[in-house]
Amino acid sequence: MVLTDPHLPDNPIVWVNDAFLKLTGYGRDEIVGRNCRMFQGAETNAADVARVRAAVAAEESIEVELVNYRKDGSWFWNGMTIAPVRDETGRVRHFYAAQADMTGKHSLEVAMKHANIDLERRVEEQTADLRAALEQKTALLHEVDHRVKNNLQVISSLMLLKARRTQQADAREALNGMAERIGALSTVHRMLYSTGDVSRFNLQEFAGDFVSDLVAGIEGDRTEVSARIDSIAVSAAMAAPLALMMHELTTNAVRHAFPDNRPGRVTITATRCPDGLRMLIEDDGVGLSAGIPNPGGFGRSLVEMVVRQLRGVIRWDETSPGTRVEITVPLDAISLQDVAMKTDPAPLPHRPMQ
Amino acid sequence: MTPSAPLRILVVEDEVLIALELEFLLGDLGYTTVGVAGSSQEAIALGRDTAPDVAFVDIHLIDGPTGVAVARALSENPHTTVVFMTANAKRIPDDFAGALGVIAKPYSERVVAGALRYIAEARAGHAPTLDGLDGFRLAPGPDRAGPPH
Repeated sequence: MVLTDPHLPDNPIVWVNDAFLKLTGYGRDEIVGRNCRMFQGAETNAADVARVRAAVAAEESIEVELVNYRKDGSWFWNGMTIAPVRDETGRVRHFYAAQADMTGKHSLEVAMKHANIDLERRVEEQTADLRAALEQKTALLHEVDHRVKNNLQVISSLMLLKARRTQQADAREALNGMAERIGALSTVHRMLYSTGDVSRFNLQEFAGDFVSDLVAGIEGDRTEVSARIDSIAVSAAMAAPLALMMHELTTNAVRHAFPDNRPGRVTITATRCPDGLRMLIEDDGVGLSAGIPNPGGFGRSLVEMVVRQLRGVIRWDETSPGTRVEITVPLDAISLQDVAMKTDPAPLPHRPMQ
Repeated sequence: MTPSAPLRILVVEDEVLIALELEFLLGDLGYTTVGVAGSSQEAIALGRDTAPDVAFVDIHLIDGPTGVAVARALSENPHTTVVFMTANAKRIPDDFAGALGVIAKPYSERVVAGALRYIAEARAGHAPTLDGLDGFRLAPGPDRAGPPH
């Protein structure tokens, strides 16, 4: 604590307590008679000093924190309360100043500020790193996607080229069949990466495209193909096997159920059911037993393999006339994530052949 | 050229197998392939020499992702309808470099056939529809159906 006398020249200190002497390191005789500016120095904020001076001139009290210097030249944050002391007539007799060393508090603030700046910088750096990693990942995904698509196109072209140069009808048909399967997988791939959602795939959208391709590929107009597929999101992992299965069963029906230009229709239905996904492929053709023996039964065994892979159940029934294949497959976790997706049946328009 | 003459098509594609099979497919569909180019230089030169009705242009060619520049050069000829044919549609600029649209790879024969039917009708001044042609997408913006003639 310090008292000054504003009535003496330069408002000198006239009284000081021991605590202040201890704080500053000066002896009493070194302080008394001098102005408080003796404690100020290079790091003292001039604007704060000006505020103190203004308050003193206006005879008002003020709270301020100043950098002050000890006798040994070290500095400390001096938290001061300065107030005028008036006599009974209201005239200012002295100014009274109470001090507290605020250095601890200040260094804490400074440390916090530095820590904050450091944290912000680190967050910025990490965000930049993450952003760069994401960009890299996106670029990589595009590149891989592009290569897969291009390779599918090359593979399909290879098959078709070989088919064109193959004389034997059986071999040519086999090559064309493979090209079609690759085509079905290509459609899946194209749809999987075009929507932006690379983890899921809409079976309905696929069926629409697939039926169009199938119908465009069959000659004559005696076979009608229609599809009624719910809008079902399935995981990318299930997309290819499901597409292959749908392709195999439908193509088989179109190829083998209607010999001798027999007219008929093939219906594809897919719905959500409590057990997962239920798919029906029905035709009103000659039926399994009457059909021309399937070359090697490849299509049928392919379907059974795929159903096993999907942990599903398949049933083949003669419906006289025709064949009915019913498949139930459980949906995996990723497919089920999106139950909210419109599951109302939105039947595709009939796509009869013209 | 009379409206009934088959469209003359330039194929700009660096994958020889894809180009060859496409040539066969175009033949099957009744069109004429006037040339196959694997690089941008070749493509632009062939475009100048043959003045094709339609050019199918891949983005990635032997000399890099130069298909966009090829499309721009070829579509300078108002007679030529340029269509991208690529697995990398993200590389196509917003203005489509003057192209009418894009056929996504891997394409099916049906989509190629449908796109060509669309182009032929648009060139003849009709207003064709894109119904069922999921793999064929038009450039955005006003009608760019190509030159009527």
